[in-house]
Amino acid sequence: MIRFSFCALLLGLCVPAFSQEKLIAGEYFGDLKARHLGPALMSGRVSDIELHPKNSNIVLIGSAGGGVWKSQDGGVRFTSIFDNYCQSIGVVTIDPSDPDNTYWVGTGETWTRNSVSAGDGIYKTSDGGKNWTKMGLEKTDRIASIQVHPKNPNIIYVAALGALWGNSDDRGVYKTEDGGKTWNKILFVNNTTGCSELVMDPTNPEVLYAAFWEFRRTAYSFSSGGINSALYKSTDGGKTWQKLQNGLPKGKLGRIAVTIAPSNPQIVYAVMETEKKEEKGLYRSDDGGSNWKFLNGDFGLTVRPFYFSRITVDPKNPEIITKAGLSGSISRDGGKTFKNLGSMHSDIHDIAFDPANSSKLFVATDGGLYRSLDGGSSLEMVEDLPLSQFYHVSTDNRNPFYVYGGLQDNNSWFGPSASPGGVEARDWELVGQGDGFRVFPHPTEPNVVYSEMQGAEAIWRFDVAKQQLKVVKPYPVDGDPKLRFNWNAAITTSKHNPNRLYAGSQFLHISEDRGDSWKKISPDLTTNDKTKQNQEESGGLSADNSGAENHCTIFTIAESPLTDQVIWVGTDDGNIQLTQDGGKTWTNLIKNITGLPAHTWCYHIEASVHGKEIAYAVFDGHAKNDYQAYVYKTTDFGKTWKPIVSNQIGSFVRNIQEDYVNQNLLFIGAENGLHISLDGGANWSAFTNNFPKVAVHYLELHAEKNSLIAATHGRGIIILDDISPLRNISESLLKSNLTFFDTKPFVISEKSNFGGTALSNQFVGDNPTSNAKISYFLPKRHTFGKMVAEIVDMNGNLVSKLEAGKLKGVNTIEWGFNALAPKVAKGKGFALAGAPTVKAGKYKVKISKGTEVFEKEIEVQYDPLSTFTLNERTEQQRITQELFNFIQDLAYFVYNIDQWDEKVEEFQKKNSAPNKNINKLGEELDALREKLVVTKGDNYVGAGEPQLREKLNDIYGTISSYFGAPSTTQIENINSLKKQFDTAKVDFEKIKAGNLKAFEKILEKNATVQKPVIVSFEEFLKL
Amino acid sequence: MKKLIFLFLGFAWIIAVRAQNVDEIITAYSQTIGGKNWDAVKGMRMTANVEQGGMKIPVEVVTMKDGRMFTKITFMGNTMTMAAFDGEKSWSTNFMTMEPEEGTAETSENSKRSMKEFPNALINYKNLGYSATLLGSEKIDGTDCHKIKLDKKTMLVEGQEVPNVEFYYLDKENNVPVLVESEIKEGEMKGKISQTKFSDYQEISGVFIPYSTSSGIKDGESQVIQFEKVEINPTVDDKDFKFPKK
Repeated sequence: MIRFSFCALLLGLCVPAFSQEKLIAGEYFGDLKARHLGPALMSGRVSDIELHPKNSNIVLIGSAGGGVWKSQDGGVRFTSIFDNYCQSIGVVTIDPSDPDNTYWVGTGETWTRNSVSAGDGIYKTSDGGKNWTKMGLEKTDRIASIQVHPKNPNIIYVAALGALWGNSDDRGVYKTEDGGKTWNKILFVNNTTGCSELVMDPTNPEVLYAAFWEFRRTAYSFSSGGINSALYKSTDGGKTWQKLQNGLPKGKLGRIAVTIAPSNPQIVYAVMETEKKEEKGLYRSDDGGSNWKFLNGDFGLTVRPFYFSRITVDPKNPEIITKAGLSGSISRDGGKTFKNLGSMHSDIHDIAFDPANSSKLFVATDGGLYRSLDGGSSLEMVEDLPLSQFYHVSTDNRNPFYVYGGLQDNNSWFGPSASPGGVEARDWELVGQGDGFRVFPHPTEPNVVYSEMQGAEAIWRFDVAKQQLKVVKPYPVDGDPKLRFNWNAAITTSKHNPNRLYAGSQFLHISEDRGDSWKKISPDLTTNDKTKQNQEESGGLSADNSGAENHCTIFTIAESPLTDQVIWVGTDDGNIQLTQDGGKTWTNLIKNITGLPAHTWCYHIEASVHGKEIAYAVFDGHAKNDYQAYVYKTTDFGKTWKPIVSNQIGSFVRNIQEDYVNQNLLFIGAENGLHISLDGGANWSAFTNNFPKVAVHYLELHAEKNSLIAATHGRGIIILDDISPLRNISESLLKSNLTFFDTKPFVISEKSNFGGTALSNQFVGDNPTSNAKISYFLPKRHTFGKMVAEIVDMNGNLVSKLEAGKLKGVNTIEWGFNALAPKVAKGKGFALAGAPTVKAGKYKVKISKGTEVFEKEIEVQYDPLSTFTLNERTEQQRITQELFNFIQDLAYFVYNIDQWDEKVEEFQKKNSAPNKNINKLGEELDALREKLVVTKGDNYVGAGEPQLREKLNDIYGTISSYFGAPSTTQIENINSLKKQFDTAKVDFEKIKAGNLKAFEKILEKNATVQKPVIVSFEEFLKL
Repeated sequence: MKKLIFLFLGFAWIIAVRAQNVDEIITAYSQTIGGKNWDAVKGMRMTANVEQGGMKIPVEVVTMKDGRMFTKITFMGNTMTMAAFDGEKSWSTNFMTMEPEEGTAETSENSKRSMKEFPNALINYKNLGYSATLLGSEKIDGTDCHKIKLDKKTMLVEGQEVPNVEFYYLDKENNVPVLVESEIKEGEMKGKISQTKFSDYQEISGVFIPYSTSSGIKDGESQVIQFEKVEINPTVDDKDFKFPKK
């Protein structure tokens, strides 16, 4: 059988490592891994809550853009369980017949604001969220409800709201009777009207209520309501449906919220959006929907139906009702009167009562998940959900660099990319109000930050240090038309003038004095289509003129990093404009792009660092119901454009980032995550190493750190710390069993701190490593045979042992600049003596892989910003080495004592007759050891009094971990320790000359106990 | 002999290109790591020197076919039992007092339930009454793998019987696991996925053992142990497993 094993092994080894197959980038990302910075301090929009029917510890939430999260501790801590799939969630449903294992997720959020993401179908897990299977309905765009038959889990009803941005027949009520293998559309109204809510009678699963909503959004308008909206009921499992009308308003209807009181299913509540203001509000039926009575039209019930149509009834009391809304409302008298829920983030989308305890409830808001233990009066935020929805990100050149960005409904912020103990909520600084979008640091004044709120209602210049806040937006002046700013208004700073600021309305505005004064440097660069400028009519049955539909505006501004005379501008109505003379003349280039549908939103232009004539343009058609990817490159100032994406992306795209070194290395921020091309856009691979399938709205590459920073719309800031290995991946690397990547010299970090303060229920963003990162490429995974890594000096002497990465593709070894630690004397308890830091200089990385050895020279440098002089370092290193030797000398000294003492004990055991001298020797050795190392006590408050070992290791640790020269006091302390050791040596010599010498003679004559074998110092170090 | 090998390679290739069922995959795995040679293995001692910031920490891991095991580390001359199971009780050394302390009754019970898994649960799944399901293919760090769900019945967690499931990812090219995942059931990390990655498979006494394991949380930190020496059927003192009497 062993022969078979060897053959099988041989088979593995014989599969050609030198394959000539095409390099598929996605297979070679290896251990390149993204890290999540968060933050969770404002969290993000939660769209749906689902509670386990019997186990209060299980809480599931679906988020607007951050996937599905599960808590197993009653909502204190959450784990993301849906990273590999669409992160826009409409609904999460637990199968009532298998609540521990089977969940369904309907993707595509149904709170249809302008920035909403879309879904790609329905998913099921049968193991509590560890594995998921797509179960169809891919084209439904957004799913509002999933109802699973309580006795037959193969019967499932789905409310498909359907496409938001266009006509679609993929909407209505769907039913499966085979567990999702096949679906039948059992109620369809028309291609503009979808099912926005579906509820099932918990006592009779044949009874269903379905709300249908006629709705449409465009880039410049929103319409809620129409003659096709209605409330339906079925009493035969969806075979037939009856429109419910008796007592309900007539005419055009908008979005309808409907729910059944679980404790009395004859009681049904519905909140109606209607044509007549006085008919808007809450209706109640006490006879299963046959007759309805109007109860209440309070603001909390009627506000923004497209965003807040969810009503929930206490599972035990049919008279207690909660309604989602601006603040969330609760009624304790069956809907006659309402009051607001307690203080929390505004914009409430769902409320869920704990089935076992109605006083405990969870609330889904635009700012995360809240929980209440007193029926909604007091609420505490869940601090473990990094669902923040960034629109943009920029960075600075501090070390560590900071990131700046604005959040959907959650202000503008900046925070560090690293912080002691990890990046906590307290590390983030507030620099804007309202919906936050683009935030930029002043290029040369680190305390000055620009930020904005929706529609450029304000553009702020904020001096963080002085806490001075000034609105610096462009205003219309004499002769100007109304300035049209996008909801997410284009502003940017300049690479050429630190005080320059650009802002885009329909005109391009420029300020050379940090926003204090402005001038227009363009005509109207948009199509200025008046039919797309009727935002005050937006909303349909409920006016909704929030600025979210502002259109015919400049959306992206890209000043060439090579010359400020070249400026590219893209507009939301599909123009791409270029000036090559600093704004004196402009050319509309859109006609030069072929294959792009007219008036497709120009979402981003990237002006290349590789040539002023080079630029990339990204167009996003999703607001026209077009989910294709449109990314183009020009190399001739826009005269011609070449498409550089294929259907490999699988969704629409918002952003592109070029590498500053390798022109062929490109990054795309798409609705479905991050994609990377190594060949200039011919082929793309999704990057999924700790990078969820989340919408990426903006990408920024930090030129100095080579860090790719992604502004995601649902999972906060995600950073890929060092993309430089990707610059060098090519098919030629497949020809060698291991190839090192070149690296810049590594800088030894001299920082130390006391760590963070976050509690275990709070999200903490990952820190980057401060270690040296040695990267190499393996053409295939290392599975069989030994593979180890070492750092050696230039003479080949071992400096440090490391763990080798063994993955296919990019591998990274981290080295903390440590040499080997000293060998410490044996004693009771711990007396740590860590490894000293190496000196600056050249070293080699040596990797042994099977019989092959690969070496790479690396360089280590001291921090150039350090305040320590070379002389101070030299002194620190000298004393550290002296102490290092001292520790090992002491260890060997104690070893000698121990070896003799063991023989004394052995002799005493084997010879029952007392020998006074030998007993005395044992006492002398014990007494000597007790002065050298702790020999009793524990590792906490029962620890023994520190002895020479402990004192020595303490001063060694203090001096070796600091990079400056030791103090005089420290030197004096070392001298004192040396004297103690000298005294001990003298004492040992006395013992040797006395009782030990006699003992040695006894052992020479004794057959039962041998003299101790004491190895040399060098051999001892190897033990 | 050379011809025979090539013939065999051709045969193996045919196996590789057609779809395999779960038992074929597990059988191929079993054969690759030694097949029947494992019958003679009654226990293993694996030793390593883990480097922590330049400090060398000797690690000794002993696992016996009868389910007993211990893991010991030596630090500053102090040897501590990180985890041990004597067939009845699980225990470990308290780092503060350096005294042995018994694990919870649940930990011992769960250890008892898995004590017949040697050398591992996947190969023995049928004898153990577990079920294995091939879930399909998945790329792990760019490597094509079979994904197998191993349902090990239940385990006790905070008084409840909960599913005990592991997911094995077997490198299709080499027929050995490169990753095993399971859900953490209790503590602050409850709900996170624990991962153990395997590499450096080497032959000793006719069986193949991964000399390198990396254990951690998915998408988080991990700790590598690179074993330097493996002894098959080592001589071990029974008291090393036993919970010491105080």
